Parts: sequence; structure tokens; C-alpha cells
Amino acid sequence: MSTRTTDLPRDFGFGEDHELLRDSARRFLEERCPVGEVRRVAEEAGGFDPALWKEVAELGWTGLVIPEVHGGAGLGALHLALLLEEMGRHLVPVPLLGATLAARAILVAGDAAQQARWLPGLASGELRATLAWLEADGAFEPDELSARAEPDNDGWRLSGTKAFVPGASWAELVVAPFRQADGALALFCIDLSAPGVNVAAEVGVDPTRPTGRIAFEDARVPADARLATSDESACRQVLDWGFTALAAEMVGGAEAALQLTAAYARERIQFGRPIGSFQAVKHPLVDAMIGVESARTLAYAAAAALDHAPAEAEVPARMAKAAAGDAFSFVARKSVQLHGGYGFTWDCDAQLYFKRCLWLRAVLGDAAHHRRHLAGALLGPGE
Amino acid sequence: MSQPIEETEPREIAEFRREVRAWIEANRPGDPGFKLPQSFLEVESDRQFEFLRAWQRKLYEAGYLGLDWPAEYGGHGREGLQRIVSQEMARARTPFMVNTIGLQWAGPTILVYGSDAQKQRMLKPILSAEEIWCQGFSEPGAGSDLASVQTRAERAGDGWTVTGHKVWTTLAQHAKWMILLARTDPDVGKYDGLSYFLFPMDAAGVTVQPLVKMSGEGGFNQVIFDASPMPGDALLGELGQGWQVAMTTLTHERGAADGSGGGSLGASEGVRQVADLATRVRRHGRPAAADPAMRERLADLWIREEALRLASLRARVPGLNPERPLALRLMNKLVFSEFAQDLADVACELEGPAATLWLGDPNAPDRAEWPRAYMNSFGMTIGGGTSEIQRNILGERVLDLPKGK
Repeated sequence: MSTRTTDLPRDFGFGEDHELLRDSARRFLEERCPVGEVRRVAEEAGGFDPALWKEVAELGWTGLVIPEVHGGAGLGALHLALLLEEMGRHLVPVPLLGATLAARAILVAGDAAQQARWLPGLASGELRATLAWLEADGAFEPDELSARAEPDNDGWRLSGTKAFVPGASWAELVVAPFRQADGALALFCIDLSAPGVNVAAEVGVDPTRPTGRIAFEDARVPADARLATSDESACRQVLDWGFTALAAEMVGGAEAALQLTAAYARERIQFGRPIGSFQAVKHPLVDAMIGVESARTLAYAAAAALDHAPAEAEVPARMAKAAAGDAFSFVARKSVQLHGGYGFTWDCDAQLYFKRCLWLRAVLGDAAHHRRHLAGALLGPGE
Repeated sequence: MSQPIEETEPREIAEFRREVRAWIEANRPGDPGFKLPQSFLEVESDRQFEFLRAWQRKLYEAGYLGLDWPAEYGGHGREGLQRIVSQEMARARTPFMVNTIGLQWAGPTILVYGSDAQKQRMLKPILSAEEIWCQGFSEPGAGSDLASVQTRAERAGDGWTVTGHKVWTTLAQHAKWMILLARTDPDVGKYDGLSYFLFPMDAAGVTVQPLVKMSGEGGFNQVIFDASPMPGDALLGELGQGWQVAMTTLTHERGAADGSGGGSLGASEGVRQVADLATRVRRHGRPAAADPAMRERLADLWIREEALRLASLRARVPGLNPERPLALRLMNKLVFSEFAQDLADVACELEGPAATLWLGDPNAPDRAEWPRAYMNSFGMTIGGGTSEIQRNILGERVLDLPKGK
């Protein structure tokens, strides 16, 4: 991991177009995606709203970071971070996160033909894809992955299991890393209807984000399923986008939980006054706010690094994932606690953020994991 | 090891930075041969004071202090450049500016509330360190509850007489001036009865008594006023406006406003300095840098340090702070002081039992720098409004939570 000095614009590259995107996303989601609607989709529709997916595609969000030549908007990581922050706030029940990371992987590792084949469909939202990166033991770092790809006549034979895959039951295509016989990692873009591929929905804690497990049992895929320029560096770039995207979504979720809880602390009366006037309530909320604001700073910085110095984005991206994971965990926990008895009922919205946090903080490395990696950059290798 | 990411700068800023860096390299003071204090809060002896005063004067005469202040009052009118000098001083670990209270608190407050005559009279000697400033806010009975100060300023002819007792008065023994918060009307509400003065420390009836800190170091005092006279033009702002003026001072003291005259608080290089320490010291037969628990804590501090550094950039972009425009600035003092305290704590733990050796012991690492820094860090988490008061302010002003009773 490099810690070389790099260039980050002093204003993080933030401009009018960022502001427009965030404001229009906020207006749209406040109208279209109130928490009651999220609950309805979770309870009645398995946590996915196809009509909303169409609207999201029409707004251009599915193609946000796909180049214009492939039908996307050609915007950057800071745009995506601001959008995901808004979506995280509203627990939006569409699998945009996985779809966007799959598109980034094809962009980073696919050749011109592969990009032309898949990216336009992803940009329009008609092709349903997600990223299937983690394995059943939670492994995701390039040196930890064990799923294998063997040459097989003209194509490849894939074996292994990918788990915790967002939108697995919805997707028709996944992008996933496999290890080749020479030990090198390669990214594959796999049609889920291929023989030997079995998708099983996971029963998740969080009903607003359905996930699944995908078993590859000597699954046969054609030669061009292997993204042509994929190597470890491509995998690292996808991960940096992943860390940053997850951090941004966590900042949004944490913000919503913080606002929910601060509002409750202003209104709930005990001992004749609002509980928010008690320092035992006020101070943890301030610590939560500080955590959220610090994580937000780091998430924006990581996105700005991806936009302006992508080769140096790993440190800020890991910092953002760690800080956002810690901040969201703290807020989610305080959110339940400070709502008192109501806080641990099904009816209280605190539980929705709490559950979303469990998935977001754990996938692609928890805070302790990223601190271990950062320590390597700061102090050299450990034991 | 360099910073993970650093902002790009316009050419003229980068050129100015190079110029400052070269000047500091050529002009930085050498080793004085005696112990220097770690910040302006711990200046004890006359020789420390004169050494530091000469360094500030040299920096000012070279044109690197008061950059953001108007030229008519001794500054340079080059807004935004003082920050660059502060960064370069921290980077080179030069001594701090001894007149910090003048540069960072009194000066910016005078710029806001002072008459033209007050600005003409007061500001330039702050920059040149010719006149040192101290702060008379806290009292034995008015700490966190600052608005309950009891020191009285009473009309006496054209001027005033001051009677009362101030504490924690850093640099009072060297100061020519004090920013003084005093009660001018005991019969109105506690906020409305306060006024803000520029008090001459050489007035009659002033007694300065040194206090000793937990580190054994001096540098702060109590000041007792016994009917001390003060001229009529000592009043800053309007009569009864003292609380509002004091809040401006505190905003600067907490690092929540632009426009300081310059001068950095400490000279630590931060986490990198402690990371370097971790590679040098051994714990249980192996380098401390190999200890997994220490590694995780240092990584956490690195993340917090980066978040602080980047927050100062983000705070300048309104579009990246749409919901809580004040949050980053108001939380800066709390977050920085608690970070600095944790950093010093970890550094002491890295040193192990050697961190118990004090100044004068030949085996004390780095002149007991880290145990000193750890103890002195409480000056930052307590002074200028304790961390607990900061959390109240943030809860009430940023999260809109109700005040306690």
C-alpha cells in the first residue's frame, strides 16, 4: 500500500454538478422513498422494488459512473459517493450498489469488446448485474480468496462459493474474482444461468437488502467470460471503489439514524423535560455526530482520491471504510438504546439502520481489518 | 513516510510555501542549551521567554507574521497565507510563537470590535512581540460557568477601577495587556452585566502569583486586582456587550474561526512522530511497532489525524457541509485536543517504564517529551471550555438539543 504524496484538489473537486445531483436525489428520495415505503417493499416484495429500479435507471443513476460512450453519465466517484449517501439515508430497496461495482469492474478489467457488450445494458438498467466478491468465510482480500478457475477446452471451469452477494436472486450476471492455476487472480463476468451455477437466497437479518450465496460447482463459462485485462491491480481498484462506496452508504445510514435519534431526544419527555437536555443523552449524540462528520470527511476524500489520484486511493479508501464502519456501529447502537423500550421494537425505525449497519460494516472488511492494513503502511510489516 | 494525500495548491501558494520553507531552514533558532517549553502555556523562566520573544520578532521582521491582518495595523493584508507559515513551522518543528494569546485570541477580537484607535495602538506590538498578552476570563468561582464572573469594573471619573481575582492566567508574569471580562452591572442578568476590557497589567494594585502545574512547570498564574485603575478607552465594544465579545475570543481560541495572527500551538509532527518512536523502542524483546495492539491503536490515531487535517479543507467548501455548516469548525477544538491527548498517552505507553523518567534523569527519552506532553494535553482539553462544555455547545448549537437545567 502506497503512502506517497498525491494530489487532491483543495475543494475535493466538488462543483455545481455534484450539488445538483445530490439535491435532485434528495428531493426524489424524500418523495418516493419514505421509510414506510421501504418497510412495505421489505415486507411485501422481498426488499426489491422493480418500479423504483426503472425510475432510478431513468434518472441516470444506473449509468452514473459508466462512460458516456457506453450510454452512461460519465461522472466520478464523488458523484457516486454523494448519491450513495442519499440512498443510504433512505435504505433504498434497489441493488444499485452491487450493480455499480460490477460495472466498475468491467470498466477496469474488461477489453473494448467486453465493455461494449455489457456496459450499455448496465447503464440503462436493463441488464441486471452485481458483484460477488466475498467468500463464505468473509475472505475478500486478493491474497485470501480461494475460488478457482481452471482452463476447460475453449473456456473456463469455475469452482468455489461466493456469499453475502447483494441482489444475488435478482441478478442475471455477476462479476467475481477467481484464482487461476498460476495463482493470479482474474475477474470473471458470469451468466448466472450457466450450468453448475447455483444461486440460493440467504435469509438475512436485514429485510431491506436481500442477499444470496452463489455456488460454482465446476461451472462452465466461455473464454470471454474472463475480463481480459484483469489482474491483481484491477482487483485492488475495484476494492478501493468498493470501500469508498460502502463508506458513503454508511455515512448516509448513520446520518439518518443520528437525525432520527436527535429528533426523539428533543421530543421525548421524562422527569418533566426532554431527554436530550440530559448530558447522558446529549454527549453520546455529540460523539455520534463527530463520528459521522469525520467519516463523511474521509469518504469524500477517498472519492476525491479515486477521481484525481486513483493509484493512491487505497489509504483514504481504507480509512473511510474503517471510520464509517465505526461511526455507523456507534450511531446504530445508540439509536436503539436512546429510544429506550420503544427502541427495540419492530415499529421503531432504529432497527432498520441497525440491521443495515451489520451488513455494511462487515462486508469488504470491518474497521479492525482495515486498521491492520493501515498499520502496515504506517509501521511496516507486523508479525 | 509522507502524507497519504495532500492537497494541490495554486502556483503562488506553492511558491510562497517554498520561500517560507527556505527561510525557516536558514533562520530557525538553534538549540538554546536549556529546556524549552512545549507550548506558550508553559513559559517559566525569563531566558525561555526572551529566547521565544526574539524568535517571534525575527519571524515578524521577515514578513511572515500578521499576513492575514490589514497592512494599516502592521499586518500584510495577504489573506490566507498565515496558515502556510504555521504549517511550515509545524513541519520544521520550530519553537512556537510566544505571543499566542495576542496573535490568536486578543488580536482577532480587537479586529472585530476595536475602534480605529485601539487597532492602531494594539495590533502591531502583538505581532512584533513587543507587548505580550494574557487572558483574564476564568475565576475561582467561574470556570465552565464563565458568565458568572464576579470581578468588578466600576466607574471612577473618566475611567474604571477593577477589583477581583482571575485564575489560570497564562503568561501574566510577562504580559503588558490582559483581555479582561468583568462585571460592570451586578443588577442585570448575568450575561448582560458583563463588559470586555483591554487592561494594562502595569496598573497599580495588580498582584501576579504563579501557579504550579501537575507537570511541576509554571507558566500560569492567578491575578488579583485591588482597586486597579483602568482608563476609559480600555472598554472594547459596547458597555454590557462583554459576553458577546468574549464569545468571539472563544471562537478563535477554539480554532473555529479564520483570521488568526499566526503561531501554532505545539510542534508535534503527530502520528508519524509516534510511529517513528514505535520503530525505535522495544517492548518485551521486540520492536513496539510489531505489537498488534499498538499497531491497531496507531492506525486508529492515523485515521483520526487524517480526518482532522482533511476536515480543515472540507470546512472551506460550503457545498460539502450543507446540513451542519458550523459542525466542523465548532468540533475542531474538542476533536483535536482529545486526539492530542490520546496520541501522547499512546506515546507514553510505547516508551513503557521509561516514560516515568522525568527531566534531569539521564535515561529519560527525548527530555521526557511525551510524559510532559501527556500532562500538558489537559491544558487543551480543559482550557478554552472543557471537553464537557464543548459537548454541551455542540449538542445545543449543532444538534439543536435542549439546554440542561
